[in-house]
Amino acid sequence: MVKDLFMFAGFNENSQIVWFKIIYSKKPGSLSLITDLLEKENAFIMFGHLDNITQKTGEYLIYTELDENINPDDLAQKIKSIEVVSEVDYGISKYGMIYSVDFPLNVIGVRGVMARALTIVDIIKTLNQSVPHAEGLLTVSGLKGGIHAAKYFKSIMPINDSNYASVLAELYRAVGWGILEIECDPKTYEGKIIVKDSFIADVYGSADQPVCAFMSGYFAGYLTDYFGKNISVREVSCKVTGKKVCEHVISLAPSSVSQEYQLRGIHSDQAT
Amino acid sequence: MIRQPNAILGNDRLLVTMGRKGDILGLFYPRRDHAQHVEESLACVHTGEKLLWTNDNEWHSIQNYIEDTNIVSTKLYHDSGIRISILDLVHSEVPVLIRRFKVQSQKKISGKFFYYSNFNVGETSKKNSGFCDTDARLLIQYWQNYYIGIHSLPEFTEWQIGKAMDTIWWTNSKYDMEDGKLQRNKEDIGNINNAAGWDLELEANGANEFVILIGAASSRSLLYKRMHELSKMSLEYIFEKTREYWVMWLSKKKVLKMPGLDGHENLRQELFSAYNRSLLMLDLLQDREYGSFVAAPEFDSNFEKCGGYGFCWNRDTAEIVLALKHSGYPEYCDLFFKWSIRTQLPNGSWFQRYWLNGDTAPSWGNFDYSTQIDETGSTLYAMDTYYRILEGLKKIEFLDEVWVSVLRAAEYLMKKTKSGLHESCMDLWETYYGIFTYTNAAIYAGLMGASNLAEENSESGMAKRWKKRAEFIKKATIDRLWLQEGYFAKGIINEKLDKTIDASILSAYIPFGMLSPKDPIEKDMILFMIENIMKKLSVPINKSYGIKRYENDSYIDGNPWVVTTLWLSEAMLALALDIPSGKAIFSPMHDVSYEKEKSNIENVEDLTNEGIKCLKWALAGATSTGLLPEQVDKSTGKPAWAIPLGWSGSLMIDNILLLDKICVRKAADAEKS
Repeated sequence: MVKDLFMFAGFNENSQIVWFKIIYSKKPGSLSLITDLLEKENAFIMFGHLDNITQKTGEYLIYTELDENINPDDLAQKIKSIEVVSEVDYGISKYGMIYSVDFPLNVIGVRGVMARALTIVDIIKTLNQSVPHAEGLLTVSGLKGGIHAAKYFKSIMPINDSNYASVLAELYRAVGWGILEIECDPKTYEGKIIVKDSFIADVYGSADQPVCAFMSGYFAGYLTDYFGKNISVREVSCKVTGKKVCEHVISLAPSSVSQEYQLRGIHSDQAT
Repeated sequence: MIRQPNAILGNDRLLVTMGRKGDILGLFYPRRDHAQHVEESLACVHTGEKLLWTNDNEWHSIQNYIEDTNIVSTKLYHDSGIRISILDLVHSEVPVLIRRFKVQSQKKISGKFFYYSNFNVGETSKKNSGFCDTDARLLIQYWQNYYIGIHSLPEFTEWQIGKAMDTIWWTNSKYDMEDGKLQRNKEDIGNINNAAGWDLELEANGANEFVILIGAASSRSLLYKRMHELSKMSLEYIFEKTREYWVMWLSKKKVLKMPGLDGHENLRQELFSAYNRSLLMLDLLQDREYGSFVAAPEFDSNFEKCGGYGFCWNRDTAEIVLALKHSGYPEYCDLFFKWSIRTQLPNGSWFQRYWLNGDTAPSWGNFDYSTQIDETGSTLYAMDTYYRILEGLKKIEFLDEVWVSVLRAAEYLMKKTKSGLHESCMDLWETYYGIFTYTNAAIYAGLMGASNLAEENSESGMAKRWKKRAEFIKKATIDRLWLQEGYFAKGIINEKLDKTIDASILSAYIPFGMLSPKDPIEKDMILFMIENIMKKLSVPINKSYGIKRYENDSYIDGNPWVVTTLWLSEAMLALALDIPSGKAIFSPMHDVSYEKEKSNIENVEDLTNEGIKCLKWALAGATSTGLLPEQVDKSTGKPAWAIPLGWSGSLMIDNILLLDKICVRKAADAEKS
């Protein structure tokens, strides 16, 4: 999901984190030539992945920890001199925090950014404290994201009743938003989503009311676009209120709105 | 969210501000300052596959006014080949905006035309109520006694009233349009929005027309009646009546001749258009009942990035009503001075700014030290200027009407200027506390005006006293604020002379006349000020230069302003008019002891040409519809911040009238020779 991204905890002033992007010709033993050289040069490979660019060429992306005395430029030249290597690019993560080879990041087809959960939660808190209809505003904001996600997945792979939920769950895990358990009947459009370790609830602190309206909106957008029906998703219990997990209830949105005032705050089947 | 308009239209009870793509940004009823009932209001097209919002980036637009009217034409072009022509007008007699949409497409379309609105009736999103009367085919939203309604021709076939920002998002009309059909909910309350829909069946290169009426009223029944009556009239008839109304209104103006203007291609026509547009714009900023003007239609009502503009400042309005008077519309002066008499504070001064009905507006000038004394000076100056051009019985009546107010204001100014320079207060830019050249010049003009009115009212004792004080202020200002560098200091701030050059020092000549070009030394002082302002405050953009307010100005990025640029041109043109043509303009001898650097301005023609450059610059910074903004973006050259600014419009009128006089004089000279 988040390609070419690596995070280094801690900071060692005697070493430097350097990434190399190496384009090489795919012959037997090509990669060994590269890794052998790195070992010989005392470059500690911390993380790497391969990308098959074409049938004949590949991209080898590695993050290394180098002794501070090693000149990355010299090392890059040495790598370049290997017969099978055609291109070498490199970069230095001076403070060993977060580094991405590709800029900008790409998350489900559009630009992405990394942020601390608290950064987003601070925005949510400010809205809750200062803006009328904050819950609605967050729902509507989440809705847009969920609709986009569903449209994107439909455009790149077959999405059906057997995988729509697991795709959403994988997305949530990959971007660090939470661990999902989704139960939803595609015939009745009813069910629930349990969110463990919701990034919102985890850092929000305690509150009297559920605070994950943004996620409810996101689920609603995703399911609405997938099912082609207006889907209501409401958070009925939230970790911030002292519960173990957050729970969002899924139901088909009422076709008539005349009951909506009464429905507010409780699940539709309880209202009838 | 701050959004600046590209066009405005209205009548005596309705003011509409509009974006460049025909989206309604503001709908002010019944006053220009309150209440603003719209958050969003615009058309969308559902192509059968997807929803296209007409304010999206995918649309290109051309927007202008129908000549000599406040009727707006907007043409939208979409990359997919859809074209929408919008004609917008406000009925001349009732507060109803009439919008004709003509939708054309190069390809066949089987979809929908939607009109979406998010009204905040009563300027609040709370406790609104909306309903769709399917018999009368009216969508109505109301709060207390404000009713806003939508009717259409042909009648809409589907509709939605829903929650604008709520967890029950599927009722939201904005989202309801996405699938190409509306849910037809008939009523709702709270923060709500609405949409009306029509089938859109277009063959390739075919066209459909939809007329949408957005009306305002103080009761449900009145709104029904208005919409019903209007729906019986043809659009052509209403258009013609509205066009006729504005053309007739404009026909009262002082006619420009503007002979000559050699070497300035198309400028004559551009100035005629700018003159007409400024007049038409100013009319829309005035409250017909009270006579007050908003500085600009409000666009930052939450004061997110500034203090707001939808209020009446005496400083701006004094200049606006005089410009209107000079161009043939004296009635604006009459009403404004009546309003001024009513709004004068018990101590004889005027407040920083007011709601149009005369209530004091939100202010950061609530104390003696934070008041703006120049506004009292400006008001007195304007009263006297108006008086001087009145004739006969009208003159007597006016003096009788304003006399007590003049007396109170003049005595207030006397109290504030015992030591010559005024006591510490806030400056005209509403940023600094201290003593300022501009404020002193305004007080000088106010007291000189009051003195003249006292003389006319047979109060020669008062006249003498006030004149003596005015002269004392002038002397103190020159003695203490004139710099060897050849300009007035901005003022005294924190008890230190602030040598920052500020374009407002030009007020010592224009408009307040503290310096007279008839005096050779003062004439040179005016010239040096002009040169120094050109040298130090010019910002190059739009192939010329505009003038920023002062050095190191940081308000909205320190852009050049139309007002300051037109002050400069007005000073140049007024000076050109005061000096016989062909003469060298600097006095051969003067006792202002400083070195004069090489100047671009050597004679009257240079002054006129430089003035014209400034005028052209201001026109280049206008909107596509010809509205003058407060500022011009120093990077893009586009209109910036308050649009339109009444003060900018009034100065454009003053400048054009001056240039007209210069052209007429030149033509007469040429004829004689």
